[in-house]
Amino acid sequence: MNDFSELEDQLRKLRPAKPSSELFTRIERALADQETSPSTAGVLPRERRSRFNWLSLGLGLAATAAVVLFGFVRLQQPSKKTPSVASLSPAPVIATAQLVPAGLTQVVYHTRDEGLHFSNNSSQPMRRVRSQARETLRWRNPKTGATLRISYPREEVSLTPISGQ
Amino acid sequence: MENVATDENWKICFSQLAPGLVLFARQWTRSAADAEDVVQEAFVKFWRRNHDIGNRGLLYATVRSVALDLLRRDSRRARREATALSDADQSVPPAFDIEDDSQRALVAGLDLLPGEQREVLVMKIWNELTFAEIAEALGISQNTAASRYRYALAALKKNLAST
Repeated sequence: MNDFSELEDQLRKLRPAKPSSELFTRIERALADQETSPSTAGVLPRERRSRFNWLSLGLGLAATAAVVLFGFVRLQQPSKKTPSVASLSPAPVIATAQLVPAGLTQVVYHTRDEGLHFSNNSSQPMRRVRSQARETLRWRNPKTGATLRISYPREEVSLTPISGQ
Repeated sequence: MENVATDENWKICFSQLAPGLVLFARQWTRSAADAEDVVQEAFVKFWRRNHDIGNRGLLYATVRSVALDLLRRDSRRARREATALSDADQSVPPAFDIEDDSQRALVAGLDLLPGEQREVLVMKIWNELTFAEIAEALGISQNTAASRYRYALAALKKNLAST
């Protein structure tokens, strides 16, 4: 670092141009308006709207797939363990027991660190990481070899609280 | 700068930080007016939530975030994400009060630096941030921040020697 000490001294002698006096006035006015319009301090409103749309879509599809998968599993189990119950409602068991869950794949094809942000009404900064993936659920009929596959995109935004010291 | 961190009066805090903040913002804006708009939005946003400047890394992260958001808004939608950083590299150089030719050469040399090196240099020299604060603001490690700083000085020295 000693090699650069002279250069650092020269750089420190450079003085940044002073901002206009209007800037102070504008900030003072904005801070004074704090109580009347607190929502103007939101971060990246357009991105946030987009984020929630994608997040809702992804979560909705994931929940739907989970319910479908859970339904298949549930309908398979009673036919083996409690035949008396199955005999009361044989039709759905016969219809669904032919498909067996065959796999779940998740391919994350993009991850981006979007830096520090404030979430809604929070005084704590959060690190926002956005990842995009495609999930595929597969079922297979072992007798016929027929398969059922559901594939959907998923975008996940994770917010990790950052502690300021 | 240490007394700034605990000062509750925004005018005192801001008057000490403003030139460096505007200089920092100018790396991504086309004019001084745009840079001041960025600093205004970022500082107001930051001050409303923190009421002190104890976490300077977060303040500069906010300025950077607002500046990049402005840059993206001005870009065409399809190219927005891909060109944000390259646009930053093509922005106007930081503005200084130049007193002589040697300082003019320094500023010209600064303009030739890659954006990621120049932003670390601006934060370190004219905003007096530590490498830990720089690392927090940029979301990089302290070693990376220190490396970029050394590379910036080395490149600047080389630029000055070749002129």
